[in-house]
Order: sequence, then structure tokens, then C-alpha cells
Amino acid sequence: MRVYPSTFHLPKRGNSFQEYEDAFWVGPDDDGNGEIGSLRVAVADGASSSMLAGRWARRLVKIFGSAKGVTRTRADFLAAYREAAYSWDGEVREYKTDREKRGVPIEWYEEPGLAKGAYATILVVEFSDGRPGYPRRWKAAAIGDSCLFQVRGESLCSCFPISDVTGFSYQPPLLPSRVAEDDVVLRHVCLKSGRWEQGDHFYIATDALAAWFLRSWQAEERPWAILRDLDTEAGLDFATWVDQQRDLGEMHDDDTTLVRIDT
Amino acid sequence: MYSAEISRANPTLFVFLLDQSASMQDQIGSGEGQRKCDVVADALNRLLSELAIKCAKEEGVRDYFYVSVFGYGGSGARPALSGPLAGRDLVPLSEIAASPARLEPRTKKVPDGAGGLVEQEVKFPTWVDPVASGGTPMCNALTKAQSVASRWLNDHPACFPPVVLNLTDGEANDGDPAIPAEAVRQLASADGPVLLFNLHVSSDKSPPIIFPDSDVALPNQYARQLFNISSTLPDQMRTYAQQQGIAVSDGTRGFVFNADITSIVQFLDIGTRASDLR
Repeated sequence: MRVYPSTFHLPKRGNSFQEYEDAFWVGPDDDGNGEIGSLRVAVADGASSSMLAGRWARRLVKIFGSAKGVTRTRADFLAAYREAAYSWDGEVREYKTDREKRGVPIEWYEEPGLAKGAYATILVVEFSDGRPGYPRRWKAAAIGDSCLFQVRGESLCSCFPISDVTGFSYQPPLLPSRVAEDDVVLRHVCLKSGRWEQGDHFYIATDALAAWFLRSWQAEERPWAILRDLDTEAGLDFATWVDQQRDLGEMHDDDTTLVRIDT
Repeated sequence: MYSAEISRANPTLFVFLLDQSASMQDQIGSGEGQRKCDVVADALNRLLSELAIKCAKEEGVRDYFYVSVFGYGGSGARPALSGPLAGRDLVPLSEIAASPARLEPRTKKVPDGAGGLVEQEVKFPTWVDPVASGGTPMCNALTKAQSVASRWLNDHPACFPPVVLNLTDGEANDGDPAIPAEAVRQLASADGPVLLFNLHVSSDKSPPIIFPDSDVALPNQYARQLFNISSTLPDQMRTYAQQQGIAVSDGTRGFVFNADITSIVQFLDIGTRASDLR
């Protein structure tokens, strides 16, 4: 399978890269002969109004990106979520211990946020070659408003899980670090699969860029034409382009992440 | 309008006006016989605490907001923060969080994980103390708020519009507050006019009223006057009020009568909201 992933990310204005609270993960499965059998991509967007949101987003992409099957069934998705949530208290304890050791103990204004827990979206996409004679497939699973777009030639073939720009808000469904009840999580999991062909392009993005993409497409523009050329000789670099869109009011000033898969 | 991102690169301003006149010695009409000055001081301390918690991130509070607190009583309005911030009239939120006058232990009931409640000790920060003395120079306080907001807007012309919150029993005695209130509401950033909200604490025993859209049910002239000088809630804030079970309409104003106004902190978006799946 020949796929070429590129990753781009930029923090919200005024924030450093250490304060960036999205996360992404790209993981090829190597069959031992240098061939990539499948590729998994995960992106997560830590809710900026929660504490340790960046750590929670990083934990989610690591676990969901490494776990096989999470895009196939809701039960597998739930199992990955449980693994992330059940081990979260340990990470918080380590964080508190580290703060104590460094002489900067937890302050009164941090305690309620730590007790409430962290929140993030998750989107995981798996690309596979398929069996000989069968079409190549992609499968995706999501909670929240991080999005996948599939472009073939000059057409948008698939949007997931949001297909209309009015679907974005400040209150998307989020995976909490405090263990949520199984049925509540299962109710919000979205699954989708599709076929892909060599030459397709995929754009996997957190909400600020995803909303820009859909707004542009709904205005009958070709947003992929810009994303396809980012960081190439023909296009702008990602940070310059995102800054321009923020200046123009075309993109929310938020942590911004894009994983581009060229095939 | 009211869609500007609130961020450290584009912060906004909260101005709190705290009535400290002699009439604030009287008891509030509802509740457990607290003095009005205790109620407004407690409300302001909780508002500042909620703001700090809302903006707390790893190892610090982000300066999404700058804060002015003026007390008014006697001859005029003056900075009302006590402790290390005494005398300051514009303070970044991180300094507010780092420098309360006191941190008092209080108990609150929290879920015990088995369907019951258990008492837990929490630290309650205090920045302002109850004061009740002299007249009620509310016009002077509103003029001071206008001055601070005007300066802020010169430096932050594209910010989410500043919010001015007046906590009072409404009995102004230095003129008609409608005039300086109008001057406050006429100030604007590129994102919309300044928002003026009022918390009315009253000795009247009428039931509490939260974010009404008409002055018809309000029990006295002071309540009606404060309602009429309050801004209507922007769309997004109305939506959040509705989500909290409050009946709203296009005419809903940022006014509460003998009720909790801490929820306005939750009406402001600083990014993706953290809420549980349902």
C-alpha cells in the first residue's frame, strides 16, 4: 500500500507549542518486509476549558491509534476508551507528585478542574489494502467534531462525522477522562467505512480547520486545492496560511491540526 | 456580533461595581436573613473564583480576562480589592487568582460515588469584604466603569465586548443612573457594544427573578430601573441560559433580582466547552 502522510499543527494565538492541546498519531503497521499493510491515523482535540486536556488528547490518540479494531465495532471503541479512562487517575497522580517535587503544588483554582477531569474529541481512521481482487477500504470511528474528508480528483467524496458547517459548536460531544457509562459512550460513537483508490487525498482535521473546509466547500470553492499544496513548492507553509485565515476571520483562532494522506 | 474569540492574544475586560452604601446593611428579602453587603461581597468573590477556575490550565491561570473592581459608597467609587491587590484598578486574571486577600476553608457537599453526598473541605478565596457606609454614588461608579472600559477599548478594539456587572440594591442618590448607564452601553468594540448587567439585592420579599424579559413582574421601582438599564443578552448567552433551564426570549436582559448571577461566567466562551456526554 502506498500512502504518504503529512502532519501539520499550530497552537492558538498567544499560546506556545507546549500549550497546544490537540494531538495526532500516525502509525503504519509494518509487515516486516518494509511493506505497509495498513495505516491508522488518530486526531484528538482537548477541550480548552478542561484541565490537562492536552495530556488526555495525547493519551487518546496513542491508545486509539495503537488499538486494532476500534474502527470496526462500537465494542472495540468502548474497550479502547476504557483503557484510556481507567489509567487516567494514575497519570493525574503522577502529575500532582511531579508538581510537588518541583515545588509548585496544585493551587486552589486547579483543584476543581482536576476533579472534574479532562475532555477531548477523538477521530481514528484506518486505511487498508484489502484482499486481492477486493477494493481498498477505509474505516473510521469518532466522537466529537474532528473530521475526515476524502477527495477524489476535484470532488469531495466523503465527510465524516460532520457534513454541514452548522454542525460545529462550542459544545461537541467529548470523551471524558472520568469513566462514562458504557451506554452513554456507545450512543455517541459514529462509525463509517468507504472505499479508496490510489490517487485519492484524505484530510483529517480538528474543528477549526474542518469548519473552514466545509464552509469553503459549501460556498462551492475547492478547499482541497489549498491543503493539497501546503508545505510544497507550490503552496504556502501551514502556519502562514492558518495565520492569514485567522486574520481574515475565516478560521477560528484555536489549536489547529491537519493530517493529510496522499495516496 | 459577540463572536470574537477570547484568548490571551485578544483578552477582554470584566468591570465589577460593588454597592458599599449604608443601605447594604439591611437584610435581603429572600434567603436566611443575610445582609445585602454580605450577599454582594460573597457573589463577587464567587464570580472571581469561577473566572479563575474557568481559565485555569496546567501551572497557571491564563489571562483571557482582565478585571476591575470598584466599590461605591460615601463620596464616590474606588478600587475595592483588598489584600495584595489593594488600590489596583485593572488586574490580569492570573494575578487575581494568585493573590486573594485570604483563602478560607469551607465545606461543601460532593457526591460520594455511591449515590450519597459527603462533606469535603475546599479553599474559598476572598478578594473583597462586606462594607456598608455612606450614600450610593452609583452614577459615579458607572462613569468610572465607562472610563476604564473606554481605555480598554482603545487598546483592544477587536476584543469580545467588555462586561460591566453592577451589584447593588439600586438606591442611587447621586442622580439618574440611566444616563451614565447609557454611556457605558454606547461604548463598543468591533465585536459589539459593552454589556451592562445588574444584580439587584433587595429587602423586598418577592420571589427571586433571573434574566427576565420584561419589568412587569418586578416588585419595585429600583428593580425596574436596573432592569431597564441592563443590556439584552446576546444570542449565544441566551442559548446557554436556556440550557440551564431559564426561560428566555429576544428581550431577555442581563438582570437578576435576589438571585445568583454566577452563571454569567459560564456564558462566556473561551474555547471548546467541557461537558459530559448525555
